Amino acid sequence: MRLKMISAAALAALTTVGLAPARAEDTVAVIVKATTSEYWQWVFKGAEDAGKKLGVKIDKLGTPKDDAAGQIGVLESAAGSKPSAIVISPTIFEALGDPIAAVSGAGIPVIVIDSGAKTDKYASFLTTNNEAGGKSAAEAMAACIKERTGKVAGKVGYLTAMAGHESLDSRDKGFVEGMKAYPDITIVGNRVANNEEAEGMNLTGDMLTKNPDLVGLFADNAQMGTGAGASINEQKLGDKFCLVAFDSDAGELEHLKDGSIYALVIQDPYMMGFAGVWYGYAAAHGVRLPKNVDTGVGTVTKANMDDPKLAGLLDVSKRKLSQFLGD
Amino acid sequence: MTDQVLRHANGGSGAPAAGHILRSWARRLPIETYVIAFTIALWIALSLATPNFLTENNISNIMRQTSIAAIIAIGVMCTIVIAGIDLSVGSVAAFCGVAFAQMCGHGLELPVAAALTLIAGLGVGLINAVAIGRLGIPAFIVTLAGLQVYRGLALLLAGGMTVGGLPPEVKDFARGTTGLPNLFWAMLAVGVAVHYVLSFSRTGRYMYAMGSNAEAARRQGINTFRITVIAYLMSSGLAALGGILLVSRLSIASPSMANAYELQAIAAAVVGGASLFGGRGTVLGTVVGAILFTTMSNAAVLLGIDPFWEMVLEGLLIALVVYLDNMQKRRQAGV
Repeated sequence: MRLKMISAAALAALTTVGLAPARAEDTVAVIVKATTSEYWQWVFKGAEDAGKKLGVKIDKLGTPKDDAAGQIGVLESAAGSKPSAIVISPTIFEALGDPIAAVSGAGIPVIVIDSGAKTDKYASFLTTNNEAGGKSAAEAMAACIKERTGKVAGKVGYLTAMAGHESLDSRDKGFVEGMKAYPDITIVGNRVANNEEAEGMNLTGDMLTKNPDLVGLFADNAQMGTGAGASINEQKLGDKFCLVAFDSDAGELEHLKDGSIYALVIQDPYMMGFAGVWYGYAAAHGVRLPKNVDTGVGTVTKANMDDPKLAGLLDVSKRKLSQFLGD
Repeated sequence: MTDQVLRHANGGSGAPAAGHILRSWARRLPIETYVIAFTIALWIALSLATPNFLTENNISNIMRQTSIAAIIAIGVMCTIVIAGIDLSVGSVAAFCGVAFAQMCGHGLELPVAAALTLIAGLGVGLINAVAIGRLGIPAFIVTLAGLQVYRGLALLLAGGMTVGGLPPEVKDFARGTTGLPNLFWAMLAVGVAVHYVLSFSRTGRYMYAMGSNAEAARRQGINTFRITVIAYLMSSGLAALGGILLVSRLSIASPSMANAYELQAIAAAVVGGASLFGGRGTVLGTVVGAILFTTMSNAAVLLGIDPFWEMVLEGLLIALVVYLDNMQKRRQAGV
């Protein structure tokens, strides 16, 4: 304990006197929810591209799977290395609130992306409005059912990737709320998978067995969309059934092309990473930022999937920045 | 001691009242019989409770849903028989699946890609066996390390992304049927082959002997390292096959797929009568165990049971079956 205090004091003295070597370049730490998922790889890609433009070093951090305690540890270690700013996507709303406030309090600007945390001590919050995204999915569902059956009526279900996740819960809530606008639609079932394609595929098959007259299904992330799409494709229901899914990955794209998925509601993870770093850099240099920014969602169907504006959102490797940000 | 030996030892008990004979006969039945009976009872109950259960489509769904898990579980059961364990199978399936998808994506012929993938899987098994049998590291630790290593390699290989854009023939196998779903035929073929090895070959007998008492087996001149190699080759090889079939079923490969399949596999083997202390375990029991778990999740959807309760029920089932199994063994020992 004593030793710790002495070394801390020594360290403080060193920094204040300026004996410690000045950092060669600024660093922005980007902490995602789960490093093993494609969505977060695109966030990292956007962050790295912004880092290159700004001449800022990007530390890509996070836990392999959603793990709130682990993420708090990562956040605290990242803060310990005194980066210019921290960009973080909180795993659990309640759990990350105080740790984020503590980091902000220590003078490191924090940009929150994708999901919220229970605090207002952050520089800016860039997110998809997930509830609005769920509503967009409901609108696409209604359009599809009308197109294929002539009227907006029948049974629909939804697949939840994981229980207890704020962003997924908001999507489901938005979807269920959105479907209420159509009185002849009944929501008959909801199953929760283990965030795995194969389980999503099995559950879709089983839901169709239970309700052979099911007309539509909403899958609330890429894993569920891919699994449900595979099941619809296997049963050759593509042209009769209405599957609407969130996000975009290789599996979902394939099923959008083969007609098993009617529409994808896509977010902009690349821009969350890009703008997150950009905002973090700005905040570190004293720029006042808007407190909340909606990064927007778009709905893609087979009909408009080749629109160049959407191409970069569907497949982020084709992403081009707007002329304001240069390319 | 193996089951077979126990059954022989009990065979000689006298012949008193008919009821007693029936009871002692029932006691001597292997645990698989009860699990099979329970599964059949569950199927009958579901057929009565919901009109959608006993339909051609649903049975075919259950067959497809069970097959990959059962194939992986059969491999894990082989390591359990020799008193080992393989916790790496889920990660190996993901790693091999991603490797297979990337080879197919780069234009390699499907059979060549599949063969190379299986060889990679066997390589993993060999590494595990050498670490366990030669370096003397406990199987639990070796394969726990593998669980991390191969998941990491799968993610590296895929760059953290879903691998898509596979030729359409990839999905033809798993989506197709030849009377029964192709996946089910694959499971039957694997099951028959492994059953033959375990029950009718000298290697199989040595595996049970080693699992019952490794030291005694060694003194009898059994090459336990060779047996270890065979068991882990089977486990990793079947995990690789499971990975290929999973890619065929999903028509994509995801580095995060087959997550926690090792635990499902162990659960299926144990419910099917395998003992984690070694020396016990059958293909039939393991397959029935896998079918039972698939049936339970199918039933949960058809009956609208809360998915969280489904997890609780599955856990309780594992505990109950192992308890009944132990009770039966204790009674047998006490006869």
